[in-house]
Amino acid sequence: MAYQLYRNTTLGNSLQESLDELIQTQQITPQLALQVLLQFDKAINTALANRVRNRVNFRGSLNTYRFCDNVWTFVLNDVEFREVTELVKVDKVKIVACDGKSDSSCSAADVLLCFCASALFFF
Amino acid sequence: MELGKDLKKENFYILEVIVQKLLFNILSLVFSSQHNVLFQNNSETLATFSLPAGLAYPVQIPAGVTLQTASGQLYKVNVPVVVTQAPVGQQPATQAMQKVTEWREASAPQPTAIPPNPIAPHEVETSSVPAQSVTQPKTILPSSKEAIVILLGQLLPFYKLDFSEFTTVMFLLAIHSQLDLGYSQFSDIVQLDGPAGNSDLEEEEEVPLEENDFLGIINAEAMKALQEGNESSDGNSISSSSDGEGADELDPLNSGDDVIEQDIPDLFDTDNVIVCQYDKIHRSKNRWKFHLKDGVMCYGGRDYVFSKAVGEAEW
Repeated sequence: MAYQLYRNTTLGNSLQESLDELIQTQQITPQLALQVLLQFDKAINTALANRVRNRVNFRGSLNTYRFCDNVWTFVLNDVEFREVTELVKVDKVKIVACDGKSDSSCSAADVLLCFCASALFFF
Repeated sequence: MELGKDLKKENFYILEVIVQKLLFNILSLVFSSQHNVLFQNNSETLATFSLPAGLAYPVQIPAGVTLQTASGQLYKVNVPVVVTQAPVGQQPATQAMQKVTEWREASAPQPTAIPPNPIAPHEVETSSVPAQSVTQPKTILPSSKEAIVILLGQLLPFYKLDFSEFTTVMFLLAIHSQLDLGYSQFSDIVQLDGPAGNSDLEEEEEVPLEENDFLGIINAEAMKALQEGNESSDGNSISSSSDGEGADELDPLNSGDDVIEQDIPDLFDTDNVIVCQYDKIHRSKNRWKFHLKDGVMCYGGRDYVFSKAVGEAEW
């Protein structure tokens, strides 16, 4: 079971909103929407692992850090994201990171925690 | 309010005698219904008694007064008693005794330890002494044991006893009440909890301590029942003002809390979010190092992806 962490990205949110509209107009069932989201989780995890090959460096000041249920949450201030091609500076950025070690099994609880952790900070 | 400080406590025993009679009458009536004692029901008069002249009314008698009859029976009145003065010949105040019958039924199944001495109520001679009425709190205690005592206290003023007896009964009740407690100006139930004055009997100190809970209830209910007419307007104004003051006090407090609370949501409510997985998070004193992978960054309204991200930050 893949992390549901990526549902809170622009892509994931757009997908959820579209699914909600379809449910509102009763064009699809909620069960189908859930299945779509699960498929999205698998797809995004696979894509990020296999189809992305870039590297990013960043530096900043740590405002807060939190480690709960194997989920790290940081809030950094005055961060510079440096990539080969470009440099981006942001005043504040939040990082939500789930356990990415291949050794640890990705249980449903971890997936849910990652999703909740990421979703919680958006509200 | 004066309680007859010049009265001698020798009469205490006579007072006890009278009250014992009262208690027994009540109990007998509860269990056997053999005595012709009437329970007042908003219209009937249960009993009247007289108080010795010279007392300054209203008289407040605290709870826990132990009284002993001539036969040696001890009665303990665990309710505060307030004796108010009424015109001569006037029937005892038609106190609302709605709950009396309920008490009777509630206390009926409970046996008592009072020795069964037949004491018949007597008529009251009110020719020379103005009839007195006693106002008492109307509170039903859950325990039957207390119910009996309260029943006694409630029915105390409505029994018809000898003039000689009751003149001293209430007289002694007056004196026996601790003058040092410092009764407040209101003619209501005296609150005995809290710092009490010099007490002659230990019972009076123990009883209030034990009955703090329902004394508070008694006080609250008595205040409502007896001071409705006088303090209704005052109470409303006071309550409204208190509520207003409370609301005003809450706002500054809440505003202070809101300032702190707003920081936390704002701190975590940002559009720049990175959702990723971590390979390793390292910390050395206040220097943090992040090794992240497979992440999606969203900042500036744009999304970026990375397979690996390494960062440093100082906390």
